[in-house]
Amino acid sequence: MRLHKFLYDVKRYRTILLMLAPAVAFFLLFAYVPMAGIVIAFKHYDYAGGIFGSAWNGLANFRFFFESGDAWTVTRNTALYNIAFIAVNNFLQIFAAILLFEIGGKWFRKLTQSILFLPYFISWVVVGAIAYNLLNYDIGTVNALLKGLGLEPVDIYNTPSYWPFILVAVSAWKTLGYGTVMYLAAIAGIDTEMYEAAEIDGANIFQRIMRITLPNLYPTLIILVLLAVGNIFRGDFGMFYNMVGNNGILFSSTDVIDTFVFRSLITSNDIGMSAAAGVFQSVLGFATIMTVNYAVRKYDKDRALF
Amino acid sequence: MQTSTERLNQRAPLHSRGRLQKDRLLFSAIGYVSLTLLALLCVLPFLLVVSSSLTEESTIIVKGYPFLPVDFSLEAYGILFKYPTQMLKAYIVTIGVTAAGTLLGLFLTSMTAYALSRKDFKWRNHFSFFFFFTTLFSGGLVPWYLLIVNYLHMKDTPLALVIPMVLNVFYIIVMKSFMSSIPEAIVESAKIDGAGDFLIYARLIIPLSKPALATIGLFLALAYWNDWYNALLFVSNENLMPLQYYLYKMLGNMDGMRKAMMSAGAVVTTTIPSESLKMAMTVVATGPILLAYPFVQRYFVQGLTIGAVKG
Amino acid sequence: MATKKSFLLLAVILLIATVLGACGGNKNSNSSSTPAAESSAPASNSAESSGETGASGGIDTSEEVKLKMIFVGPKPVDYDSVFGEINKKLKEQINATIEGEFLDWSDWAQKYPLKLAANENFDLIYSANWAGYNDQALKGGFLELTEDMLSKYMPKTWEAMSKVSWDQAKVNGKLYMVPQNRGESVEKLILYREDLRKKYNLPAIDSPEAYANYLKTIAQNEKGVIPFTPETGDWKYHNLDRVLLKQENEWNMFDLDMPFAFKLSDPKGQVFNVFETEEFKDLANYYKDLASNNGWSKNALNSKNDHQQDFKQGKTASITHNNGTLGALMALMRQENSPYEVALADINPDKAKSVAISTQNGTSIHATSKYPERALMFIDLVQNDKELHDLIMYGIEGVHYEKSGEDKYIATDKNPNYTGFSNWSFNSPLNRDNVDFPQEASDLVKKWEEQVYHYPLETFVFDNSKVKTEISNLGNVMLRYAIPLEYGVVKDVDAGLAELNKQLKAAGLEKVQQELQSQIDAFLAAQQ
Repeated sequence: MRLHKFLYDVKRYRTILLMLAPAVAFFLLFAYVPMAGIVIAFKHYDYAGGIFGSAWNGLANFRFFFESGDAWTVTRNTALYNIAFIAVNNFLQIFAAILLFEIGGKWFRKLTQSILFLPYFISWVVVGAIAYNLLNYDIGTVNALLKGLGLEPVDIYNTPSYWPFILVAVSAWKTLGYGTVMYLAAIAGIDTEMYEAAEIDGANIFQRIMRITLPNLYPTLIILVLLAVGNIFRGDFGMFYNMVGNNGILFSSTDVIDTFVFRSLITSNDIGMSAAAGVFQSVLGFATIMTVNYAVRKYDKDRALF
Repeated sequence: MQTSTERLNQRAPLHSRGRLQKDRLLFSAIGYVSLTLLALLCVLPFLLVVSSSLTEESTIIVKGYPFLPVDFSLEAYGILFKYPTQMLKAYIVTIGVTAAGTLLGLFLTSMTAYALSRKDFKWRNHFSFFFFFTTLFSGGLVPWYLLIVNYLHMKDTPLALVIPMVLNVFYIIVMKSFMSSIPEAIVESAKIDGAGDFLIYARLIIPLSKPALATIGLFLALAYWNDWYNALLFVSNENLMPLQYYLYKMLGNMDGMRKAMMSAGAVVTTTIPSESLKMAMTVVATGPILLAYPFVQRYFVQGLTIGAVKG
Repeated sequence: MATKKSFLLLAVILLIATVLGACGGNKNSNSSSTPAAESSAPASNSAESSGETGASGGIDTSEEVKLKMIFVGPKPVDYDSVFGEINKKLKEQINATIEGEFLDWSDWAQKYPLKLAANENFDLIYSANWAGYNDQALKGGFLELTEDMLSKYMPKTWEAMSKVSWDQAKVNGKLYMVPQNRGESVEKLILYREDLRKKYNLPAIDSPEAYANYLKTIAQNEKGVIPFTPETGDWKYHNLDRVLLKQENEWNMFDLDMPFAFKLSDPKGQVFNVFETEEFKDLANYYKDLASNNGWSKNALNSKNDHQQDFKQGKTASITHNNGTLGALMALMRQENSPYEVALADINPDKAKSVAISTQNGTSIHATSKYPERALMFIDLVQNDKELHDLIMYGIEGVHYEKSGEDKYIATDKNPNYTGFSNWSFNSPLNRDNVDFPQEASDLVKKWEEQVYHYPLETFVFDNSKVKTEISNLGNVMLRYAIPLEYGVVKDVDAGLAELNKQLKAAGLEKVQQELQSQIDAFLAAQQ
């Protein structure tokens, strides 16, 4: 009886299933098949054995991370930074998108939108170099300005406490143009009738934004947040590595799992150990998103990711 | 009934019904000031990049990056374009891969997203999870590399540049979210009229999803345009090198080569301006996309409103 | 509508077919090839591989073989012409040709292990300690080379290479590479601005005190010139430690990768924690003093600048590196008529100098190569045959270089068309030096070679497989606590040292030390 119903459903949804088939095949092949390689994290990998033939070594590859004494710090840093990024970046992007959409001048709008996109194209290597040019103690632009104003120069690269702010700001700067596009598209999809009606009712523009635009952006916001939450334990290696480099003084406030693992494995280059770190990040991320998604489901079934 | 385009294109009146619209004035003030500030923050570093690319290398080393070119020099660009045929080939490869990848990607992504957005599809959450799970767990570089090189034999083929990136869970889910905001009533009425799922998708949903398509299309294009990693792993044929990888190799080689030669005791007769070169590379890689972007922008403000379709 | 549906169907079928096809393939990453058995060679062998086709001194070379070697570095512009010449001669001598595959500097780090992991088809590969030789050998990427194989297929190299070099290239007692045959000393030294020294009437820089004096004088009087700029990188020790810690105290510091060292003159090779020694404490204070006097940039650890470029442009007044690199920089500056007068300084001239470990550059045979014997013969030729050596190292005579006597060459303007990649694994006594290389640098090298200090533990190689975790953690601790201390960023040196050692112990210092010492003891015992 069950099978009967199932086959009936398949027939009923056959077009939709067909439409899904290419993507399913794609991910089966390119994501699920290689996923078998996760076992490397639990093996002592060598070339002769390959992925499936190498010997198991249990949790040995995880030791370097958990015995380092830094495991908690870097994990905490990773999560906190990602939370900050999610909050600040989305806020700024929504802010910019609304402004861009409602602002009058056509040329101003087009120009600004393009300009906001520029940081996206600058690679982290170049950003790191520019940051150094701006922030360094001896001839950095910032300190030159301070000295010019008669103030004491600041040793930014040797003061850990500034860095969470610097990194959050830089992350926001870099993703602003890209993220704004998403919200612009969402705003463009809002039915203008609602605005007209509100305007007729006497609502001013701020009220229109608060009452109509923002609520209509929540779905997009929630989706983006949920998507980001799955990766909350993965740090943006490019950013952290190029901005902070190997400056050990800053690690307490800037070291994330990815940079920590990279440094640990520079000399040993151990595939198993880096796979183990990846598994750690995946498991934590999985637990987090399952929890958060469940919570969102309870609140509003349609807003959840799955 | 106005479309958002029309609404946008008319200058928001400061005076309406004879009264000064104070809220609009305040809003404009906040808007212009904030956006200008943000724009400045974004353009100044880029100015740094452009100016450095046009500045003499020795000046950069001594004085750091200038906001305006000092000791003007086209040396970096000279080096980049030293082998114009190679550069041209690289551009062609990138444009080709980007175009093919974006079109194919848009088609597949939107189709998948539509299927997932259908509220009457009882397994949509199961499939969503199936897709999303792939972003959580990964086997790492080695298995993926082995799959593509040893089993699919895609090494040194355009497929290796296009296929691995053609579908992305993030884009699928974002597009699904956009499509979900299209009222069900429209889909219902089309079904009543006897239209099949694919037809609804092709004739109805796609036209209504222009902002979403433009967004994801842009993201896909950017991803393809900027990709050098796939090329690094899978391409050794010089005729198949995309732009970013070509530039990245050039820089890496110059840096590494100089160091290597010096370690070997060889006397290097040319100095390579690696600082200005890095900057010139950024400009060369960014230029085309930035020039094309304004033309794509209009899709973000355009969009047939649901109201217009209803009638 | 029907066409749309069938189009969909087709796409689906295609994709599913690909999936099934892939699944059907062998999931094991290693194809079934086993290391090729030695070719059926007659038992007798001779020391010469003369120019006869068909038989090469008793080794059967009747089958033409196409060898493939992986190099690090970009493909040289004139690859075709030069390798064409090489292959002509190679074919004559051993009926083989060589094809090179090149991993650019930008991506070799990712690609090198992948080539091995994917078991791609190649016979030889450049290997080096800085390219993960140890690691890749232990993973089974390279073929083990036995004495038999070496004496049979590369007799000239077997004779010419010193035992020390062979032994240093052993991993767990087994040999996996043919190292370069050149005992280059990679002791670091200092390059500084002679014109500035003269300007301030400073005494010759031949001791740590004199050097400190130089640095402080520059800091005080030359605004805008940074006295010393370190090389950027993932170093676990101060850039000057090779000079001021290792050479000054005559220690062996295990390539400055671990917090351990032993005195060269100690016959028992007692290993100690560097950071607990008086010498290090003194040095830390020395560095702090320099840092407080602006000896280097406060943000030196974050600077991405190239210290050699900085020196060339006059932005910094001294840098440290090995002889070859500094000599080349000097030559370049002189060629460009730099306004600065530069000179080399060896601030511990009377201390023992060690020979570089032979695994700086080497060639390994791929574990699954089908033609290991021919590959070995190839290496034998390029290291020891004058013509082939010149070809592979310098290019075509008259085009890429001009001969200058037997051991020098003059670079022509086409020289850059054949350079920049890892042919250094073929370094041998047949090498030619560039005439432009500064005489003072070469003289210094000669002087050092005369001072080379040999000791029983010279060929000791540490096997870290049992303590990998601890070593990673120690490395992290050094980066985090030792480096800031050494660069003078930590205000209270004693407190900083205490914290450093505390962290080191927590990271497993004692365990590694014990493992290291037991291996050393075993090594020494085996030598008796």
